[in-house]
Order: sequence, then structure tokens, then C-alpha cells
Amino acid sequence: MNRRDHRLDRIRQAALTIGLGAAGLAIFLAIWTLASLKLDNDVLLPPPADVLTTYGELIADGSLAGDVKASIVRVFAGFFAAASLAVPLALVLAYSRILRALVMPLIALIRPIPPIAWIPLAILWMGLGDPPSYFITAIAAFFPIFINAFAGGTSLVEEHVNAARSLGASPLALLTTVMLPSALPSIATGLRIGLGQAWMAVVTAELVAAQSGLGYMIQISRLSLETSRVLVGMTVIGLLGALMIGSLGVLERRVIVPWHYPR
Amino acid sequence: MRLVAGASADGSATDNILAKPRLRLEHVTINYGRSRPAVDDVSLSIGAGEFVALLGPSGCGKSTLLNVFAGFRSPDRGRVLLDEQPHLGPSARCGIVFQKHALFPWMSVIENVAFGPRRLGLDRPLERAHALLDLVGLKDVAHAWPSSLSGGMQQRVGIARALATRPPVLLMDEPFGALDAQTRSLMQEELLAIWDKLKPTVVFVTHDIEEALFLAGRVIVMESLPGRVAREISIPFPRPRAHAIMDQPAFIEHRREIADVIRIEARKAFR
Repeated sequence: MNRRDHRLDRIRQAALTIGLGAAGLAIFLAIWTLASLKLDNDVLLPPPADVLTTYGELIADGSLAGDVKASIVRVFAGFFAAASLAVPLALVLAYSRILRALVMPLIALIRPIPPIAWIPLAILWMGLGDPPSYFITAIAAFFPIFINAFAGGTSLVEEHVNAARSLGASPLALLTTVMLPSALPSIATGLRIGLGQAWMAVVTAELVAAQSGLGYMIQISRLSLETSRVLVGMTVIGLLGALMIGSLGVLERRVIVPWHYPR
Repeated sequence: MRLVAGASADGSATDNILAKPRLRLEHVTINYGRSRPAVDDVSLSIGAGEFVALLGPSGCGKSTLLNVFAGFRSPDRGRVLLDEQPHLGPSARCGIVFQKHALFPWMSVIENVAFGPRRLGLDRPLERAHALLDLVGLKDVAHAWPSSLSGGMQQRVGIARALATRPPVLLMDEPFGALDAQTRSLMQEELLAIWDKLKPTVVFVTHDIEEALFLAGRVIVMESLPGRVAREISIPFPRPRAHAIMDQPAFIEHRREIADVIRIEARKAFR
């Protein structure tokens, strides 16, 4: 097979994948439409067309943009706080046996507590508004990032360390040129999972502890029985979450760990 | 371009065993917390520009000795001397080629080779790296990721990287052990060509008798449990060598002699 045929084949494969994905989505929307016609109750399940109309209204009056912005700010505030704590801590623990023995049991006990269980404390400590949401998204993102970064830190290959030392690497150079890059693939995985967790947690936090954002919008729309608004909130979360995790995946392949994905 | 200092200046292709000692072990003993030491009271002297093979069955302590030469492990008793000075830790004066997994996968081929020169702050590290890649015949893959190279190419990059800081000593830990037989035999000839050009002192660990005989000017056969030097054999074949020497009666005779020693040792370790 020559090069051009090979490229055509790849384009055909990609077109097929995209086509099947679109077909799956269309089938889902068709079932949704049929179900809502059968139910004939806009509070239980409005049809996709109504949700689309509601999208239009909420975009027109600017309220959707405001809620999206509030949620995104919370996701990233918590995510960055978690990442900047979890990555250094995980790497330090990976290299220090004493600190590991000191801190790991504590982490093992805190890790199973779901982010939602922190909400009462978060509200007590920080009141309503943005801070408890930052705290909850940070808690949610912290553990996947920490666990993966720790695995990355302990996956150091002895030959790499020995090679670097025999080539004149100082301890600092060893850290930045060998240990950190060794851990990067796992750190990148952790960041991707952590971002997903932060997205899930922001909605939880806003359902209870905030007066803005997509979670809050879902909550008040439920109380006023505006189900199509609830569905707008849900689908926006799905779209934005997929978009962000997808972008982080591209960043991972092209920038953070390109050697893991040679083209 | 002279890449290695201390090589024999006349460029002669014979092994210079009487040269001043480059590496010395004095009564080196290494315990791994077992009853019998992994290395027991070994003394060795390796001359500048010499090509020495450390040969023996697995478990005879030959890789442990290489780690001692490299400074990765200090002996429990005895001393390691590099140019008659105590050798206390890893340094860029001993280049190392590992069996596998040693290239940094997150760096391009050229950055792997330039790593040592960069760490030592040598000037024009990339130029040096390109010269070394050229030497091992790999200038076309300078910007590839190591994972996209074949095993033989990866080992050639490993050799280029180890030589990029102009180390007087090159330590090789079964560098061709993971390669297929055809590639291995090509790599052996290429290594001899490189050694002939740069004349570093080479300590080459292997369990392959023919490989040791073909490459080295002196073969040190190790025995196991405890790890000691069983026999030292000078290999007189003139250089440059081609694989045809393996058919010579003298080669076959040496092979038989070493195989007998190794078989006894391997049986000891097997029990």
C-alpha cells in the first residue's frame, strides 16, 4: 500500500468513526423525542426541540453565560489549587520513605470520604458563595491527581537515574531532567481524571452551597418545575466537561508527554 | 576530531596491556547480606586503552563489579581506583552503556546524546552530539523519539551518549544481550571500529563466550558463590578483527578452554 492510499484509508476510518458517533447521538435524540411525545408531560420530560428553544432564551438573556462562567471559574480554581498541592506532595512522598510512612495512612483515611460529605464543613467554615465551591472542587480533584502523580513518582527506572548520574547530572538536574519527566505521563493522566472529578463536584457544590452556576441553575429550575432548563444545565455540563477533558487530552499528546504518543 | 584523551598516540591496533593502570580494584568484597559474598576479595588492574571482557554465568558478580567500577555501589571492603585516585561515586569519567531501557524516552535521540555535554557545561553540546551520532551511523534519526528506533539503533544511541562526554572509561553491561544474533554480530564489529577510533578503556560484561573472545584483548572469567576471578586469559588475535576469526583453531581452542571453566561454575550456581 503506498503512502497516498494509506492516508486515504485513514481519512475513511476517521469519517466512519465520526459518522457512527453522530448516528448514535441521532438515535438517542430520536428515542428521547418519541418518549417525550408518548409521555406528553413537559415537567417529566420535555422534547429535545423544547430544550433547544430554552437554550436560545437563556443564551439571549445572558443568564446561561453567567452560570457557565461561575461554574468554570470554580472548577479551575479548585483544580489548580488541587494540582499545585497534589503534584509536589505526591513527588516528595514518592522519594521520602519517612514522609511517606507519616502521611500515607492519613491520606488513605481521607480519600474515601466523598466530596459531598465535605459540604457541611465547607459551609460552616466559609459560608455560602464561592469559597466552599472552590474547596469542594479542590477536594474532588486532589485525590486522582495525587494518586497518579505518586504512581508516576515511584515508576522511576533505575537505569535512567544511573545513566544521568554517570553523565554528570547534579541532584537538582536529576530532579528536573529525570524524575519529573518520568512522572509526567502519570501526572497528565491524573490531571485529566482530576478535571473530570472537579466538574462533577462543582455541580454538587452549587446544588447546595452557591447562588450561581450551572448546579444552582439546575436546582432552582427544578423547584420552579422548569424541566427544560434543568436539561439545558445538564447538557451544558456534559458538553463543557467533554470539551475540557478532550482539550486536556490533546494537550497531553502534543505538549505534556508527546513521547508517549509518537506520530 | 580527537574525542578521547589518553588513547595510544601511535594509533596501533594492538592491545596495550602494559599501559598505566586506568582502573584498579584492590581486595574488593561486596556482601548482599548473604552468607557468601557476591564479590570476594577481587583485585584487578585494567590498563588505559585496554578492552577487557568480564565473563561468567549469571550470579557471578560481574554486573556487581561493573556497578562498583561505575561508582553506583561502593565496596564493603577494599578500594576502587580510577587513575590511581579513589573513585567514590558516579562521574562523567566513566561512561556506561546498559543492557536496555536506558535512553531517556522523553528526549529526542539528539537530546539524549547531548545530555552529558549539557550537564558538564561543555561548549556546543549539540555539535558534539551530532558528531557522535555520525560516528555510530545514526545522524538521520537525530530528532526521532528513542521508542521509534529498533533495539540495535537504541543501543548505538546509548553508546553515542556514553561517549559524548569523552570519558576515558567505557563500561558496558551486556549491551547486546537483548539483541537478535544478526544485529548483535553487526554491533560487535561496529563497537570495535569505534573503540579503534577513540581507544577508551572498555570493561565489557557478558555471558557470551564468543562475544568476549571476539571483542576483548583480555578475558576475565568469573566464578560464582563467592564471586571471584577464576581465570584471566589474554586474547592474542590481531586487530582489526573480523568475525572470520571465529573459525580459526586458536579461537576454537580458547572457546573450549573458557567453556570448561564456565560449565563448572554454572553447575555450582545451579545447585
